[in-house]
Amino acid sequence: MTTREAPPATVPGTPAPAPRRRPGLRAFLLVLPALVPVVAVVGAALTSALLLSLGLAPLVGEPGLSLDAYRSAATDLGSSLRVSIAIAAAATAIAAAVGLCLALAATAAIRRSRLLGTLAALTVPIPHLVGAAAMGLLLADAGVLSRLLGVDPGSWPPLVGGRWWIAVVAEYAWKESAFVALVVAGVLSSRAASYTETAALLGAGRWARLRHVTLPLAAPALGATAAISFVYTLGSYEVAALLGRAHPEPLAVLAFRLFTSIDLAARPQAAAVAVTTAVLALLVVLVALRALRNLAAER
Amino acid sequence: MSTVRIALAASRTGRGLLALWLVLPVVPLLLWAFADSWAFPALLPQDWGTRGLTEASAAGAGGALARSTLLGAAVALLATPLGAMAGRALASRQVPGSTAVLAVLLSPLVLPPFAVALGLDVLLLRLRVPATLGVVVLLVVAALPYTTITMRAAYAAHDRGFEDEARVLGATRWRTVRSVQLPLLAPALAGAAFLAFLVGWSDYIVTVLVGGGRLTTLPLLLASAASATGNDAQVAVLSLTSILPPVALLAVVGSLGRRGRR
Repeated sequence: MTTREAPPATVPGTPAPAPRRRPGLRAFLLVLPALVPVVAVVGAALTSALLLSLGLAPLVGEPGLSLDAYRSAATDLGSSLRVSIAIAAAATAIAAAVGLCLALAATAAIRRSRLLGTLAALTVPIPHLVGAAAMGLLLADAGVLSRLLGVDPGSWPPLVGGRWWIAVVAEYAWKESAFVALVVAGVLSSRAASYTETAALLGAGRWARLRHVTLPLAAPALGATAAISFVYTLGSYEVAALLGRAHPEPLAVLAFRLFTSIDLAARPQAAAVAVTTAVLALLVVLVALRALRNLAAER
Repeated sequence: MSTVRIALAASRTGRGLLALWLVLPVVPLLLWAFADSWAFPALLPQDWGTRGLTEASAAGAGGALARSTLLGAAVALLATPLGAMAGRALASRQVPGSTAVLAVLLSPLVLPPFAVALGLDVLLLRLRVPATLGVVVLLVVAALPYTTITMRAAYAAHDRGFEDEARVLGATRWRTVRSVQLPLLAPALAGAAFLAFLVGWSDYIVTVLVGGGRLTTLPLLLASAASATGNDAQVAVLSLTSILPPVALLAVVGSLGRRGRR
């Protein structure tokens, strides 16, 4: 890595500065206490998972390079990838749409809703597991929603553990919409007011202001939070484990079952699922970063 | 005139629906937590009481609450100063290869926690690292992205002039940190510590995989109660116990933030 440091400028007439360590070195030493544990944990974890999945670090027997773990997990891995991506995409789409509406209502110039901002802020620190338990009590047959709507448990659609993963998607969409709302509202409240006023003074109507001022200002934050939500949902375990169905399993549930199985031969398969998920998450983030950079370059 | 009225009504309805979206999932928790019996199709519990609380404490909620609090506090105590130092260095723009350093520090945000925990678990077992220590280290790494981003933003907005002034007036380096930097950055530090606490407080998968079932925190207790049937009241009590401390902390951090801005 190259460092671009200007040679120290000496101003004639001033005494020479006291000898100091190079600022670059000082700053680097300040980063180290955080950098070392992250590099150690992430590096060791990924290396160990990769070696285990490739048969190079077996718990029993001789090490030998093979793709057996990937091959024997392939069928499950395929359906798990599809289910996980579908859940993450659906939840992220709803979260982004609802979160944007929440942010717009919480930062509107006229009739600003403080209540919605506060409610979103209160939703963010609720653990996902609690959200899952709450969605279970709300959406199960004989749950609170079926009582509110007066529908018999017999004719209530299988929202929890059903074919369409409704309760799982609803939980992620609910929690992540509050996160999207908080971040986007933060960006809008600090920057949108003056632009919107200027546009209004120049004669822009309400829709024109939304389309040409507010939405472009919100777009980068919306894109970034949507990407974070998607990646989080892709790798999350507890909500799908609690509210999902037995088959097909999302990636995290599949990996967990294989890893905790009494059959030690399933461990490399669990590692194969973990490596696949990590690679997928990294790819998604790289694509998202590229898209966000293009978005910034357009302006 | 009538279009204005229609727009107003539409906006009111929209806001009502948004509020309902945020509040509705919490409603069953509030009702079930105090329900001794609540048979279908009644809209409200038939008998109110503290059965859920009794069951939850019999299942060990008290100890789990203490362990979760300690875990969250330990993660916050370690991840906040590390994130603050990294944030200060990154905000100063003097770190060589700062984009790469930031990318590495943010990587735990991207990587699925189960993948990291699963990979590390085998290694920790081989190295005979105590399970609880493993959980804390992993969660500190998971919390570092949050504390680093928060403190980097805070240091970017922070005026170094105050520190230079204190140094000119003869304060030692450590004294400057203690009497100038810490008070000025207290709101950001509180925010960073809150986020780090949340990482430890709400974690499930790392505690299960690396903790090996020996570290029973509140989420573990809640998960085992929620995966069985028939103990809805206990699930609701455990859920509320998991929500209230972070919300109370959020109120404290929020008031600190407002005082800091004044």
